[in-house]
Amino acid sequence: MHIPDGFLAVNTWAPAWLISVGGIGYCLKKTSLVLKDRMVPLMGVMAAFIFAAQMLNFPVMGGTSGHLLGGVLAAVLLGPYAGAIVIAVVLTAQCLIFQDGGLTALGANIFNMSFLGAIGGYLIYNIIRKIIGDNKGIIIGTGISAWLSVVVASSAVAVELSISGTSPFRVALPAMAGVHALIGIGEAIITCLVIGFVLKVRPDLIYRKGE
Amino acid sequence: MKHAYIDEYSDIDSYIHRLDPRIKIISLFAFILFVIFTRPTSFIAFALYGVLIAVLFLLSKIPPGFILKRSLVIIPFVLMVAIFIPFFKKGEIAGGYSFGTLKLTVTYDGLMILWNILVKAYLCILSMILLITSTKLSNLLKALEKLKFPSVFVIILSFMYRYIFVVQDELMKMKQAKEARTTGGSRWFHVKVLANMIGVLFMRTYERGENVYFAMCSRGFNGKIKIITGFELKMKDFCFMLIIMSILTVIRIFGS
Repeated sequence: MHIPDGFLAVNTWAPAWLISVGGIGYCLKKTSLVLKDRMVPLMGVMAAFIFAAQMLNFPVMGGTSGHLLGGVLAAVLLGPYAGAIVIAVVLTAQCLIFQDGGLTALGANIFNMSFLGAIGGYLIYNIIRKIIGDNKGIIIGTGISAWLSVVVASSAVAVELSISGTSPFRVALPAMAGVHALIGIGEAIITCLVIGFVLKVRPDLIYRKGE
Repeated sequence: MKHAYIDEYSDIDSYIHRLDPRIKIISLFAFILFVIFTRPTSFIAFALYGVLIAVLFLLSKIPPGFILKRSLVIIPFVLMVAIFIPFFKKGEIAGGYSFGTLKLTVTYDGLMILWNILVKAYLCILSMILLITSTKLSNLLKALEKLKFPSVFVIILSFMYRYIFVVQDELMKMKQAKEARTTGGSRWFHVKVLANMIGVLFMRTYERGENVYFAMCSRGFNGKIKIITGFELKMKDFCFMLIIMSILTVIRIFGS
């Protein structure tokens, strides 16, 4: 859910912008330590990859279709910081090119999907992966964190909207979380399938910290 | 394959298109801020903002049908907020309806919130559409860099823009190949194949990223990106910004 301009009050979008600018700065610094001068081209093509992957429609029930959001996918493949940058770049491009999400709300959108979605999702994935271990841990961790990341990001939208006085908290939160609990199932299935495939064919491409 | 959907009308020759991208970014961002900080009850001000953006669109010669179609992206979010409006209990009741035992009422306060969001979001979306359809994306990114946006971020964005078409082409070809070879099959089978396609796309893109980096290295890339900028601020650019800013201020003062 990309929040447009005008939906958030200044007491919400201004702090969200500050957090996002600081957060992205931190992620860029962390990533450039690992990737050095490879960072720019690699992040660029990876953002193009997520952008393209989001355009592929999956058949759901009846005639409806859904698409991948890719937050956890990016984080599992590239690591939390690089994943967050890629998602933030995609969100910025979507805001500029398709007016998908507003300019003032971009900070909040980056916060929801890039920080809560990708980095938050990665933290959960990493814990589950370590507990279960092996490839099984990677798949289960991916599934659970992909589902959670969608639910948490959409709940954050509800929270931000109610802080802005745009929608009542008590109704908006369960409604948003409820709908996205269903959407999240699709996201989890697709992300697991993609990660499972990469794991089978090129396991070296999956991000492992310090290995 | 065809993808002319990004900055589709950016090569029209018009007054707006010829303006310096930096001026356009600043002016339209000012427009967004003015709109957002206008009180929801200043109906005249919103009407005047609408007239201003309509005049700018007329000057830019962009087909109105395209603008209308583009601006529809706002619908899902407005619907979502509209659903919640009946749950605002405060204020005078404007009307009600009931589903069996469930009774819902709509208050004037709730309707005001909806109006506020609708008009502001729509005006902002129009101004963003004007910016992107009247500016080539590469120029827009260059201008952002000139305006002291974090340069690494802007450069990643411009890399992304360069490779969107390549990556998408790859995906479209894979999809075409898949469609040519699969008939029938269960939904689960198709989902699995599509997911595998994303996996393949990731691997190919990753390798492409490395190849791009090697190619850059072979041409003397040392981690620093140099951009040749050819922007020149002319008198008419300053005039445009001055006029827009003064119109916005006048609307702000007299419209509310």
